[in-house]
Amino acid sequence: MAFSDISLLITLCILFPIFTLIIFLKLIVRPHSAKIPIKSRHVFITGGSSGIGLALARQAAAEGARVTILARNLEKLKEAKSYIRVETGIDVNIVSADVCDVEAIKKAVESAGPIDVLICNQGIFPSNKVENLDIKDIKRTIDVNLFGTFNMVKAALPGMKNRSDRKPVSIALMSSQSGQVGIYGYTVYSASKYGLRGLAEALQQEVIAHDIHVSLVFPPDTKTLSYEEEAKKRLPLTKIIAASSSTMQVDEVAKKALNGIKSGSFFVFCNFKGFMLSIATAGVSPQRSYLKAFVEVIFAGAARIVALCHLWSWYGSIEKWHAKRNNK
Amino acid sequence: MAIADLSLLDLCILLPIFILLFLKLIVRPHSVNIQIKSRHVFITGGSRGIGLELARQAAAEGARVTILARNLERLKEAKDYIRVSTRIDVNIVSADVCDFEAVKEAVESAGPIDVLICNHGIYSGNVVENLDIKEIKSIIGINLVGTFNVVKAALPGMKYRSDRKPVSIVLMSSQSGQVGIYGYSAYSASKYGLRGLAEALQQEVIAHDIHVSLVFPPDTETLSYTEEQKKRQPLTSMIAASSSMMQTDEVAKKTLNGIKCGSFFVFCNFKGLLLYIGTAGVSPQRSYLMAFVEVVFAGVARFVGLCYLWLWYRSIEKWHAKRNIKQCF
Repeated sequence: MAFSDISLLITLCILFPIFTLIIFLKLIVRPHSAKIPIKSRHVFITGGSSGIGLALARQAAAEGARVTILARNLEKLKEAKSYIRVETGIDVNIVSADVCDVEAIKKAVESAGPIDVLICNQGIFPSNKVENLDIKDIKRTIDVNLFGTFNMVKAALPGMKNRSDRKPVSIALMSSQSGQVGIYGYTVYSASKYGLRGLAEALQQEVIAHDIHVSLVFPPDTKTLSYEEEAKKRLPLTKIIAASSSTMQVDEVAKKALNGIKSGSFFVFCNFKGFMLSIATAGVSPQRSYLKAFVEVIFAGAARIVALCHLWSWYGSIEKWHAKRNNK
Repeated sequence: MAIADLSLLDLCILLPIFILLFLKLIVRPHSVNIQIKSRHVFITGGSRGIGLELARQAAAEGARVTILARNLERLKEAKDYIRVSTRIDVNIVSADVCDFEAVKEAVESAGPIDVLICNHGIYSGNVVENLDIKEIKSIIGINLVGTFNVVKAALPGMKYRSDRKPVSIVLMSSQSGQVGIYGYSAYSASKYGLRGLAEALQQEVIAHDIHVSLVFPPDTETLSYTEEQKKRQPLTSMIAASSSMMQTDEVAKKTLNGIKCGSFFVFCNFKGLLLYIGTAGVSPQRSYLMAFVEVVFAGVARFVGLCYLWLWYRSIEKWHAKRNIKQCF
């Protein structure tokens, strides 16, 4: 009987703080949660003629959104439009522009009309050791992936702020798991994707008062044409280290991305490893769900241990690979 | 009853010990010490602010120092200031970090580098819709692309150095590179980007005994900071007040100490330590004791982070509410 009393006491000592923590988190998580409908709303997707962007466009159209896709190549845009028409019976708008061209993007946004969900999905990903990366490629990657996103956001923001319907709207930035951890061969891609986080965190604070909600999506390696091309040229060590995360299909990634955007989540992860990475890298990012916040607080320590184990594995692989090469 | 108590107590003592020993076995890369005495320290943005202070302290510790900046007059003033302060002559070289060829020449003329400190940077704050597109391009160009230029230029010399002692590449980030705040979208983006570079770079260069450090100073009392303060948005000032300001010589001292221990993340004050634990993510940790602190306090740090977010978003809400009331009248 005494034994069960002690057990009860111990149980209460564990449950009570947990319960208090959950209640406290429910009171403090900011910004408040938001739901962003996409049906009958204008979804504007950059890099929308191929890969994840194309899958996003198809799924958004199928869900009843009015979709505009932007890319540089007009032929590819026309093929994408035909593909979506065949798949869904729906016509999407197409607009050709380079995200780095300030005037062209302004025109593109004006011609498309007020945007409800802006998805900055354009991106290029060269991989090589920094000493072998061409300076032009470094500049181009940062221009397209990071500066191009600033350009898009600046162009779309006035229209979004002064929109006539006052429903919540969304700005979604397509990052990458490389934007949560830098790995061998991905200095510039990682730098450009990490940069999107700085933009997202600051931007959310700047636009929350206008009921604009920012999402940062972290897909893993995704089976697209660009990925297949890049995978052939990947350095052996990049392959070994990147294998720590699994590859996903385009449709799954697009589905997770859209769901995350619709629930107004700040961080959107796409698979279980992505979920763990999100906990480890939560940092000072906003969390709108008090339950997710609870999971982050409780598992932060475990996530850091798992991260340190991965680092041990990666640095071990790097050491072994160099030792083998030196022996040869 | 006694058995249940004992097991729980044992667990509370044994578990941390087990975690500590486990971490001792797995932390990578291994710890390292980087000497700076009699070694070549090359500092970009070294004619003012934190860079100038780093140059002065490194010279005082016996390093051979080169400072790089764009403005030759300022470089000469900096050289004089250091000579008066330490009686040591530093090299000066004028180049724009955005000009890769100029940086390459500067690096070649300076000679093999042992400690490369990429400290150059500009910062201007404004809400993204009011930031000039040219300003955004400049901030990202100088702070991020400029750092890639400097690293690429210096790396071959560092890899093929004749003395095989450990060398260091240091990137000067900011607490804004650990959390984005109102008015700092472009600056935060450029500083966050340095982390992507640093994490990947460390994996690429570890085999050459090259060690990467990422330094996170808070607001630091420099001329540029005082200038920028005058133009700060009210909400940026409110939110940035969550962290305390430091003097340049303290920041430089913490930076040099961090570099010499080969630490990957270098923080400068207590709030920096909290931020650092909160944002450890998947960054390397060479010290098993620091790793233990990170693991134990990770949850607390996230909790504190969420509290700050509550405070910031409330301030934003209140500020907008006040403004809307004023506009009604």
